[in-house]
Amino acid sequence: MTPTALADRPQSSNVGPDARKWLDANLPDALREDVLQQTPRTLADMRAWEAQLHKAGLVGSTWPEAYGGRGLGLRAHLDISREIGRTPMPESVNSIGKELAGPIIMAVGREEQKLEYLPAILEMRNIWCQGFSEPGAGSDLAGLRTRVEKTADGWVVNGQKIWTSGASKADRILLLARTGTVEDRHKGLVLFAVRTDTPGVDIREIRSIDGERHFCEVFFNNAVVPEEDMLGSPDEGWAAATRVLSIERATNRMHRAWRFENQLQHLVSACAANPATRELVERDYAAQLADVSVNIDLLKGHVETLVGSLIEGEEIGPRGSLPKLFWSEAHQSFAALALEIVSRFPPDMSDPLRAVKLRMEEIYLKARAETIYAGTTEIQLGIIAKRILKLNRKA
Amino acid sequence: MASDLDFSPADFADTASAVVAACSDAADLPARMALLAEAGLTGILAPESAGGLALPLDYAVPVMQAAGAGFLAAPLMETMLLARAFGDTDTDIATALATGATTATIAWSGALGSTGGIVGRAPSVQDCQHVLVFRTDGTATLVALGDGAQALPEESLDLERPEGRVEVGTLTGPQLDANAVTRLHRSAQILRAAQILGATEDAMNRAADYARDRVQFGRALADFQAIQHHLARQCLAVETIRNSIARSLSPHCETPVAAARATFVGACDLGAKAAESAIQVHGGMGFTWDVPVHRHLRMTKALAAQGGAAALKRDVLDRLLSGQNKEEEQVHV
Repeated sequence: MTPTALADRPQSSNVGPDARKWLDANLPDALREDVLQQTPRTLADMRAWEAQLHKAGLVGSTWPEAYGGRGLGLRAHLDISREIGRTPMPESVNSIGKELAGPIIMAVGREEQKLEYLPAILEMRNIWCQGFSEPGAGSDLAGLRTRVEKTADGWVVNGQKIWTSGASKADRILLLARTGTVEDRHKGLVLFAVRTDTPGVDIREIRSIDGERHFCEVFFNNAVVPEEDMLGSPDEGWAAATRVLSIERATNRMHRAWRFENQLQHLVSACAANPATRELVERDYAAQLADVSVNIDLLKGHVETLVGSLIEGEEIGPRGSLPKLFWSEAHQSFAALALEIVSRFPPDMSDPLRAVKLRMEEIYLKARAETIYAGTTEIQLGIIAKRILKLNRKA
Repeated sequence: MASDLDFSPADFADTASAVVAACSDAADLPARMALLAEAGLTGILAPESAGGLALPLDYAVPVMQAAGAGFLAAPLMETMLLARAFGDTDTDIATALATGATTATIAWSGALGSTGGIVGRAPSVQDCQHVLVFRTDGTATLVALGDGAQALPEESLDLERPEGRVEVGTLTGPQLDANAVTRLHRSAQILRAAQILGATEDAMNRAADYARDRVQFGRALADFQAIQHHLARQCLAVETIRNSIARSLSPHCETPVAAARATFVGACDLGAKAAESAIQVHGGMGFTWDVPVHRHLRMTKALAAQGGAAALKRDVLDRLLSGQNKEEEQVHV
């Protein structure tokens, strides 16, 4: 799916207000991030909720109708994303499926693969995880060692993946492995859609700093993957995938700026409702909270301009690093400020203040990962220096 | 609308850069204003009835960007905005401004009642014939200097457009109503951000060129990761300001008022930090008078003060406290 093709799509003008209306009427209280929750939400709750979002047309809006989407343009996706961001709902448990595996399958998959995998992602029948990083290949992906070998029974996989978010809940893993040796670097890389219940696939959870067990490591010990689960041919699949990735890196979780705004508004509104906390933020945090709000507006500038560029059919390339770097650092500094503010709430705080306190503490811890995943801050700075500023070239 | 025209805002960029460069050789402010007027830049926003081009604000963005990058020593933004603002009410003064026949500036700090007093932060005021003075009732008056108003000499951070204070005795002259003043302030937020964008980009380019040329420990400075990261962050600042300006002016922007304010406040912080970083990359050379990055930094800090960036942060918080984060107002500048 090329950006130019997206530009030709209808840009429905009512999708934003329609999404708003639907979300206001349908978000269950048990999934609200801005109220105290007594019981943790289950995977079944999330599957049901996200399937409902899809039914309502709020997910997969740019995917072709044949694969369960609505065939709308990027502007419509932006309009929907804004409303999703403004809604205090949990992040998708299948964002890898919807924003990484799905677009890659659309770019390189065979028609029967698209028909099998894509609607299953949107309908939440299949949750996906991403098997790229390895213990020895994090930022330097071309150093990955997981090997695949073609046999009469199919492809035999051996190796180890790590930081595989959500693998223990996933039905499929988007596996990147190599046919040759690690010296081949970018050559011989191949993508597979591997069922996580394949014999020889062993998934172990890793506890992360937020106390959750979302992260996993995945071991492949002579796991046999059928030929028909290969995505694209060796080399070609990965080359096409990287093109998709540069767009996806720039556009994934497009709702982010509006979600950050919802978090900020939750914090400030909760403080404003109580005289002591209102005085606290007005006296001690006015300028810093304003800086957070300004940064959110600046982030919207990145997102909305990028959407405009994609609609115009422009190449995004290394420019995708700019919003990634900006949002991850802006959100971390917001989270640090929020944590300081909630640390000063009175001991007899009301339930609404307790809800905001718990939400901000969780955001603070989770935000530590944001400057690490999807290319660390240091990797993004390197991309900007070398590929945008071209500092390695003489003036 | 811009899309109906045969040319785009970007088409003004080259012209503006060439005129700004020519201005650096001009003898004095009237000569510079004449060059700017001849190229149509002073009247870019003014109505055709006042000799202007009647273009939307996005066309002034590349012009102010060139002014920022090229150290333009003239109150060009003030002239553009005044020629537009008076275009509907006082064609004579608007024409004089758009054609470069007279020079004017704006005292951005302070507001006077009926009795006169002192206002401040008027760029290039020592060389101007008129100054716009804001009034406590939200309106503004264009006062002739030397005629009941005089510029007071003052030290100024900005070297290109030295700021001055103005002592006003009698407040007489053409008036702007409160709506026109509001529109002027909002447009100024975008145009200041554009000027800071030009300055920041030039500061970054100078630092990058220096880093590519300067060799230490047998390698170009640009080969050192610490220097690369400085420059990458400068690039992020430049592109963040650029994208925020574009968003603020886009018909798709949901909250143009908040976006313009955030663009300006953000540009002040990002532009200053990037210029500071560009000075750092130059090492000891960066602290010398001759490396002109400090001029960009001075200008950015002066623009922040003229636009009241620090005080605007309080407005941002008040909007959050009131819970009106999704504004109803859809007025574009």
